[in-house]
Amino acid sequence: MKIHVYAGLKDYFQPEFELREEIANTDELRAVLVKINGNAGPLLSTCRFAVEEGFIDKNFKLNAHDTVVIIPPSSGG
Amino acid sequence: MTPSSSSPPAAEVKAFPQEAAAAAVPTQAAVIPALSADPLDIVGLLSGAHHPGAGAVVLFSGEVRDSNKGQAVLGLEYEAYGPLAEKLIGEILAEARGKWQLHIAVAQHRVGRVAVGDSAVVVITASAHRSEAYAANRYIIDRIKHEAPIWKCEHYADGTKEWGNNCNCHTVTGDIHKHIYETDPKHQP
Repeated sequence: MKIHVYAGLKDYFQPEFELREEIANTDELRAVLVKINGNAGPLLSTCRFAVEEGFIDKNFKLNAHDTVVIIPPSSGG
Repeated sequence: MTPSSSSPPAAEVKAFPQEAAAAAVPTQAAVIPALSADPLDIVGLLSGAHHPGAGAVVLFSGEVRDSNKGQAVLGLEYEAYGPLAEKLIGEILAEARGKWQLHIAVAQHRVGRVAVGDSAVVVITASAHRSEAYAANRYIIDRIKHEAPIWKCEHYADGTKEWGNNCNCHTVTGDIHKHIYETDPKHQP
């Protein structure tokens, strides 16, 4: 599964990386990422997730070939 | 008494250019990119935002302040998840056009480094009357700030930087997909 992160998450992870674990949903993905870098936990708990340019919720079934974009809270304007 | 010398001769008074105005009616077909890596052309965007059915045009420009939380700011750097930001801003504009019967709704946001005093985001709305143009403009900028995947990094004069001013509506709504303004009467037509 390919992961893309933005903004403040880049303080904790590379902008793009790959995970080999089997990850079924965003809750599991968040847990895997917290294991990699626990300091990212508070920010990750506020992030949204997107696949194929659409937001997904925790019920969305992730697949190994998905590219998941992790989206911190917006701060545009 | 003689006529004022400043009055033009009757023969020189031109008719209203109705035909030219009709030909220049914007069709919204020319889609303006929601994101720009170049400085925003506020004058150009405004000049393209006139419509014969619109008695009111409102332009909002969000500009970079020279201080934040008591610290001197050198500038901001904006990052966006482009495909989703473009899509979402397009949906917000379309929704606003329908809710307030806008003739024009345009928004463009900067990405990359933006200097103090420069525009980071522009929203233009045009409608028959001003109340709709003002309300829709506020609706659009609020939603862009809270929902579009765009982030700012403050670069301070002391050499530090900080990603910040994140939407924190979830602390009130309990849902990272819900925002406090969604029930705001100002956001209703």
